[in-house]
Amino acid sequence: MGKILKKKQASVGIDPPRKEAPFNPIEDVIFRRRSVRYYKKKQVPEYLIRRILEAGRFAPSAGNAQPWKFIVVQDRQMIDEMTTDVINQCKKFKKLLDYTQPGKEGRERFARFMQKKMPNKLHPIPFGAISLIADGKLGAWHGAPTVIVLLADMRAPGNPPLDIGIAGQNIVLAAHSFGLGTCWMSFITTLEREKKWIECFGIKYPYKLITSIAVGYPKGIPDGYVNRETQAIDWFSEDGTFKVVY
Amino acid sequence: MPETITKKDRKKVESFNKIGEDVFLGEVKIQTKKCTGCGFCVNACAASALEVKNKKAQMIDVLPMCMGCGDCVAICPENAIELVKFIEFNLFFKYIDRGHPEWPRRF
Repeated sequence: MGKILKKKQASVGIDPPRKEAPFNPIEDVIFRRRSVRYYKKKQVPEYLIRRILEAGRFAPSAGNAQPWKFIVVQDRQMIDEMTTDVINQCKKFKKLLDYTQPGKEGRERFARFMQKKMPNKLHPIPFGAISLIADGKLGAWHGAPTVIVLLADMRAPGNPPLDIGIAGQNIVLAAHSFGLGTCWMSFITTLEREKKWIECFGIKYPYKLITSIAVGYPKGIPDGYVNRETQAIDWFSEDGTFKVVY
Repeated sequence: MPETITKKDRKKVESFNKIGEDVFLGEVKIQTKKCTGCGFCVNACAASALEVKNKKAQMIDVLPMCMGCGDCVAICPENAIELVKFIEFNLFFKYIDRGHPEWPRRF
């Protein structure tokens, strides 16, 4: 162990690539990562999960507070229970808010009020996802054998949920480099409302439930390059000029 | 300067169901010649916007809520799918102005 730490290892990023050089392995994992929604039943061995959590442990955080708590759930029965509870919660929300079906226009006023209160949580995409999950058209963890639950310690400096995001992305990238599949799933926050899960996960101050990641062996080969939109980048150059690049 | 929507305008939004006015959905193009009907894309789609009909994958007829995430593009073993349009919320929020879709580039 000591030997490895003392010796400066030749790692991928030490020499910057030449112009238009091929992607290095880390870039390749970043570009090819896709959310996986179709898993094999085969369980992920413990050492692999430990290994990807290690990547999360070494994530940067504000003031080096490391304000995360990881919970690994590999119990199939427990994941099934979590899934049914998420579906039940979504059904409740759907009953209150979904005004898009014919004959339910009366809910619109309340739904609009809530959308103004929570513009991000009830943005059209999650709003539609609530209905999809309630109808069983969209899975919660998509049958993944392992779920990693991420909690934030809210006593930490700065913005603890952001630190959880950074640690989570480290976990996801490490997992994909081993050929595992992952999918972010933040509808787990609906479980905050159930006493059973508050006790089970210990969701009380200072801990706050932020998100969860499904981990498993993917069916097929979901990872691959896709085309994505290019967004405008405002660029203030060294010589004082301004340009927009895509 | 890119156009922006103020918070006040944002509150005026009537409905996100006005497809084609306030919301432009994503779209994928599937080459029927290459498609084998394996159904991987249907399972990968987060929005349940795809289906297999007559052993060929296609977008559903009624309200395909495609987000343009590209999961189907990446999973397709035959490389038969291509993203042509991304989802856009005109009034809920405006994306900063965008160029056309690109594959990962090397500079």
